[in-house]
Amino acid sequence: MTLPKDNVLNRFRFGPGLLMVLALWGFLSHTQAVRAADAPLSFTNDVEPVLTKAGCSIGACHAKAGSGQNGFQLSLLGLEPRDDYEHMVKADRGRRLSIANPDQSLILKKASGQLPHGGGVRLKRDSAGYAVIRKWIEQGMPFGAANEPTLVSFEVQPGRNTVPPMGQQQLKALAHYSDGTVRDVTSTALFESNDKAMADVDTEGLVKVSDIAGKAAVMVRYQGRVAVFSAAIPLGAVVDSVPPSKNFVDDFVFANLKELGIPPSPLCDDATFLRRVSLDIGGRLPTEEETKAFLASNDPNKRDQAIEELLRSPDYADFFAAKWTALLKNRRDDASDLVSNFAFHAWVRDSLLSNKPYDQFVREILAATGTVIGNPPVAWYKRVKEPKNQIEDVAQLFLGVRMQCAQCHHHPFERWSQDDYYSLAAFFTQVGRKPSPVRGEDLIFHKRGVATATNIKTGAALRPAALGDVIPEIAPDQDPRLKLVDWMSSPKNPFFAKALVNRYWKHFFQRGLIEPEDDIRDSNPATNPELLAALEKHFLESGFDLKEMVRVITRSNAYQLSAIPTPSNVKDRQNYSRYYTRRLQAEVLLDAIDRVTGSSTDFTNLPAGTRAVALPDNSYNRSSPFLRVFGRPEGESVCECERVQSSSLGQSLHLINAADIKAKLADANGRAERLAKEERPAEDKVRDLYLATFSRQPSSDELKTAVEYLAQVPTGADGMPVDSQRASRENFQDLLWAMINSKEFLFNH
Amino acid sequence: MRVTVMRGLLIAAALGAGLLGSQRVSLAQSVGLPAPRLLTTMPMGGTAGTQVEITITGEHLDGANELTFSDARLTATRKLDPAGAPVPNQYLVTIPADCPPGLYEAHVRTRLGMSASRIFSVGTLPEVMQKAGNTSLANAMPLAMNTLCNSVATARSSDFYTFEARQGQRVFVDCASRGIDSKMEAVLVIADAAGRDLVVERSSGVIDYRVPADGNYVIKVHELTYQGGAAFYYRLSLRELTADAVAVRHPSTRRVSAFSWPPVGLPEQAALGEVEPNNDKDHVQKITLPCDISGAFAQAADVDVFEFDAKMGEIWWVEVASERLGRPTDPSIIVQQVTGTGADEKLTDVAELTDIPSPVKVSSNGYAYDGPPYDAGSPDVIGKVEIKQDGRYRLQITDLFGGTRSDPRNVYRMVIRKAVPDFAVVAWAQHMELRNGDRNAVSKPIALRGGATMALDVVTVRRDGFDGPIEITMEGLPEGVTAHGLKIDAGKTRGQMLISARQDAPGSFANVTFTGRAVIDGTPVTRQCWLASHAWPIPDSWGEIPAPRLLADVPVSVSGVDLAPITIAPASPEIREVTAAEKITIPLVQTLRSEFQGASTDLRPIGCGFESAPKLTVSLTSDKSEAVFDLAALKLPPGDYLVAFQGSAVAKYRHHPEAVAAAEVAKRQAEQMVMALDAESKKLAEVAATATPEAQAETEKSKTEIAEKQKAAAAALAAADEKLKQATAIAQPQDIVDIVTTEPIALRVKPAESK
Repeated sequence: MTLPKDNVLNRFRFGPGLLMVLALWGFLSHTQAVRAADAPLSFTNDVEPVLTKAGCSIGACHAKAGSGQNGFQLSLLGLEPRDDYEHMVKADRGRRLSIANPDQSLILKKASGQLPHGGGVRLKRDSAGYAVIRKWIEQGMPFGAANEPTLVSFEVQPGRNTVPPMGQQQLKALAHYSDGTVRDVTSTALFESNDKAMADVDTEGLVKVSDIAGKAAVMVRYQGRVAVFSAAIPLGAVVDSVPPSKNFVDDFVFANLKELGIPPSPLCDDATFLRRVSLDIGGRLPTEEETKAFLASNDPNKRDQAIEELLRSPDYADFFAAKWTALLKNRRDDASDLVSNFAFHAWVRDSLLSNKPYDQFVREILAATGTVIGNPPVAWYKRVKEPKNQIEDVAQLFLGVRMQCAQCHHHPFERWSQDDYYSLAAFFTQVGRKPSPVRGEDLIFHKRGVATATNIKTGAALRPAALGDVIPEIAPDQDPRLKLVDWMSSPKNPFFAKALVNRYWKHFFQRGLIEPEDDIRDSNPATNPELLAALEKHFLESGFDLKEMVRVITRSNAYQLSAIPTPSNVKDRQNYSRYYTRRLQAEVLLDAIDRVTGSSTDFTNLPAGTRAVALPDNSYNRSSPFLRVFGRPEGESVCECERVQSSSLGQSLHLINAADIKAKLADANGRAERLAKEERPAEDKVRDLYLATFSRQPSSDELKTAVEYLAQVPTGADGMPVDSQRASRENFQDLLWAMINSKEFLFNH
Repeated sequence: MRVTVMRGLLIAAALGAGLLGSQRVSLAQSVGLPAPRLLTTMPMGGTAGTQVEITITGEHLDGANELTFSDARLTATRKLDPAGAPVPNQYLVTIPADCPPGLYEAHVRTRLGMSASRIFSVGTLPEVMQKAGNTSLANAMPLAMNTLCNSVATARSSDFYTFEARQGQRVFVDCASRGIDSKMEAVLVIADAAGRDLVVERSSGVIDYRVPADGNYVIKVHELTYQGGAAFYYRLSLRELTADAVAVRHPSTRRVSAFSWPPVGLPEQAALGEVEPNNDKDHVQKITLPCDISGAFAQAADVDVFEFDAKMGEIWWVEVASERLGRPTDPSIIVQQVTGTGADEKLTDVAELTDIPSPVKVSSNGYAYDGPPYDAGSPDVIGKVEIKQDGRYRLQITDLFGGTRSDPRNVYRMVIRKAVPDFAVVAWAQHMELRNGDRNAVSKPIALRGGATMALDVVTVRRDGFDGPIEITMEGLPEGVTAHGLKIDAGKTRGQMLISARQDAPGSFANVTFTGRAVIDGTPVTRQCWLASHAWPIPDSWGEIPAPRLLADVPVSVSGVDLAPITIAPASPEIREVTAAEKITIPLVQTLRSEFQGASTDLRPIGCGFESAPKLTVSLTSDKSEAVFDLAALKLPPGDYLVAFQGSAVAKYRHHPEAVAAAEVAKRQAEQMVMALDAESKKLAEVAATATPEAQAETEKSKTEIAEKQKAAAAALAAADEKLKQATAIAQPQDIVDIVTTEPIALRVKPAESK
């Protein structure tokens, strides 16, 4: 039996019990259809999947690195059947299996709980899995015939479908073998949701979706193969209208919203837009003058012009350099790192300022040679020294591929093998180093020779090969790193441009089209693949123009939607039906507080007035509790997740009463002091405060409340009213303090 | 400079012996006796045909009274105040109109001798001085087109300059810093009128800018890590160039590696130029050998491929200069034999030529120096290609540092020649190698104390198979100074030059001729020996990278006042004769002029052939010792030899003791003046007591005058007292460790008598 193509089982129409019966019946009847009951069993095709499904071969159990669990070792997720067969059948003099009495086999008695087992009961005695292993033992524990069919492909049915909120979808996993047979392996496949809040899946492949609209994916794994089911969960609301399309971004975002029935919020107002885009592009609040001019302008293109102005400004370069230098591990481990860290940060910043094409930017880093002073990207090789670290960072940062797993075994979620890993590492094996006069630094050059890296498992010397692609032979004189970058920047490269546009999309929308942004794989599909493809195409056609990528994103109406949810889209977290608010990142927040309080933060070695977003490395975190508590990264990882964006009690306490905040509020040359001394109406001063802090004018209620507060005369420690100058100063400090503690200030919205 | 050593003996004890008889030093001990160093001149240069007033600063410049240059056309006189007295540290430099633009060494003569030098630039542009406080846009200094500004970087700040320009104008902004001995890694920014950065340049110090629109522009200048102060000086020029003009940059000093370039007799210009495209086997440039080609690593990952025919048995020497021309490159050459054609073409490696190795092990950047802090090697190439078969050969040259860089300024010169055996020599003052993490790299002028012997390391890069011995000579020495070269032996790369001043040598100075001499193929050959020095005294090379360079001259001077703490010399200056199988004992005399830590010190032998001789233990409390050489053990062939001993000792050095005596005299004079005035005042009081009323007015006037004189005399006495205290404090004995080198011992080894 095959399941109906449109296998949507709504729980309001079918009870779960009935569903299970149907599913089990479908599985059994299919299996019976393709395999004779007494056919010889194969360790690879029959036994290994049972062990994997039962969880025996996960990293925490018998696939633990080293020696497995209690002496019994299996490969991770059963990816190495030959090794597992040896361990199971022959290791320890074959004590785990009893051909004379299969039920007395140690492996079955432990797995079924008849003997104490740390992992608990994994296979009940009446389970199909137990029966398979028992029968295999009975058959003499064959590894399998030499000509037994091999797994050639794997699929899940359906591959995608629309599932109504609170609905269900039964998945079917099908394994295709070299002899043309197809087996339903739903019962032995592994199912995993990429967003359990939206769609959960049980061990038998039954997907249950929640009432959160959007796109969810279920990864289905079988014997090293991966297939994905993508569920579209429509909200089903009527989308009467969407904002007009300004570019292809809007086309795809709004088409998706229409498909899912999620009405977008309206466009944000001008004040919100200017604050948002200034924070997102320049890492700073707009100045009062900019805000006034922008709000007063009637130019229909003023939003586009503001974007252009920000892209031209050094603020853009400073802000994005802060993003990149942390990812490129510009880390101060020793006082002598000062020069190289300043040089590398400055190089990144200057590259962004001059809008160096992204492929060239990456080329200059990966294929860097010479000295740090002469060629600052050489500093990357100071931090990332070994070929395996180099390819892991390159893969994750520039290709969005996490290769770390494949160093020791086949990647569990991906198609990458150890050969892929070491072939990639081979690109970096001819990086030569010469001593330099500078402590901790080497001169980097291409060391002539044929690049090879050794697969630690097979011992094979592997030539450079790119992920899923063939690289022509590289002559000993040619720097393999240049060939790697040639491959990366090829228009046909499936990772390079995609990884960047996804990373930048996340920068502006708080959530990547693929999430996490550096985990791009078949089993982690984009929530809007058409949009991702269009962004990638646009980026390639622009010649890897980073500013153009920022421009096309921020010009879109999708970016300019209000952050205020409507009742219909309040639960949406991934379809960009509104702007998702985000706390200002540590440096931006510190700069913003300095700006509105009229103070400044002093950073060692740097000119007075240097903004926190322009700091060259992590060393300043040590001297700034503020930057630490608000999660400024230390440059330890290529993952943007190192930057802590969540809120915490420590942050709240810091903003409320930390000494540095108090000092900024009470700065003798600060805004509160200045406002207190100025002879002009309190209303004007409050308006200025709102412009500086929230980039908008106060409402009449806000104005009234603030003015009334400013008119109060507090009492001193002696219970007597304080003098008017002090009262005014303290009132302004209090007002500022309240404003910087508001969510409107702390968040980009 | 005094370097305070604060590192423990435990660590020191764990480390191995250094080349100079490693010395364990105690806490709070300084390294290196005081040496005069000219550190800054402000301005740092001037325009040919003008007179420039400059102010100097430096270390141990006591008694400085004369500023001299490496070119006699440049002259200086002391600046005088209105009363005609010299103003301390200020000079008027006259730059004649015929003085060619370029870099010159400036040094100042002090009580310790001629100072280490500082670069003085001569240019053609009108020069101005930096406006004070130009560290903000509001206080930016206007800079006229075609002007040069002498400036000092401001710590934790940028210096701001403004200029006006027209659309399409080509503006060339050039900042000289590292190339003129400054510590500054210059960052140049051209910004718009609002100060927003438009173009930033952080490595080359130059921006060739095409002005996009009429208006005001801003130049910002700062140090890469925002350091500033007197040592971070720069010369910023703003020039307008025509569109097709070749931009000529400020001249720069030469790296130490450049001493081995060019080969003597090489024409100024190469005979051939590379012709692009010549980047692969389908685009090779045919050449015939020998040849002399200039080219450039102009494009990223540029490969220049040349092809030539050669015959079996030929040996070709290939030399490439690029890094030695001042470029940040690392040339590399592959020579392959080509057989077959088209698809059947086969390449067989014949030679791979890379760096010119340093002749001696260079110090690592580890815990302490384990070699000299000078690298005489180069990433350039000198190597040979031996042709084993008649045929076609392909030579490709690449820049190992040029994979991602496109810069037509990265030129090279490649010479392929039949062997022309030759050599180049360079020397530098030796450094202490202490076993306590000492990493100071300092400029050491050849400014000798009376009785001192100073040793220079002399190293050679040999060309085209030359393997013979190289004698080292120094001529034109000042009075009372002798120099003895410990030759670079056949096949070796290192020798020494010992320069000794008599104890009674007068204060004197001369620019000397320093050479290496050898006989090559029967012909005597003399080559200039370059002197290298560090631009700055660096206390710790972990925190600051030393910047050694070649000097334009070799100034040798004698203090005439200060004496070496110790002199060790053979008791008799005659050549001692000894047969090859004998032992010989050489009596030595120590002249001690200071107290020392410890009772003795060990010195190791230097001089070729004596490396394995036993160390010499020298008493630091008595005036005699003996050196013993066992010629049988040394197995030296008959001939004349020079040998010396070298090590270190910790002297209790008194700095500028004569200043104490002078201050004492001054104080006595001031005291006498006070006493005289007191007596006069007393006398006047007596006169006043008996003066007539008519004379009272006159008496009162005299009393007032005396009182004022007494007040001034008291102040003068207080000042003299303070000066004496300071001089006394400075002259307190201080533990300073320094290199001790004996005067050379001359030996004539005669053949052993046959039995």
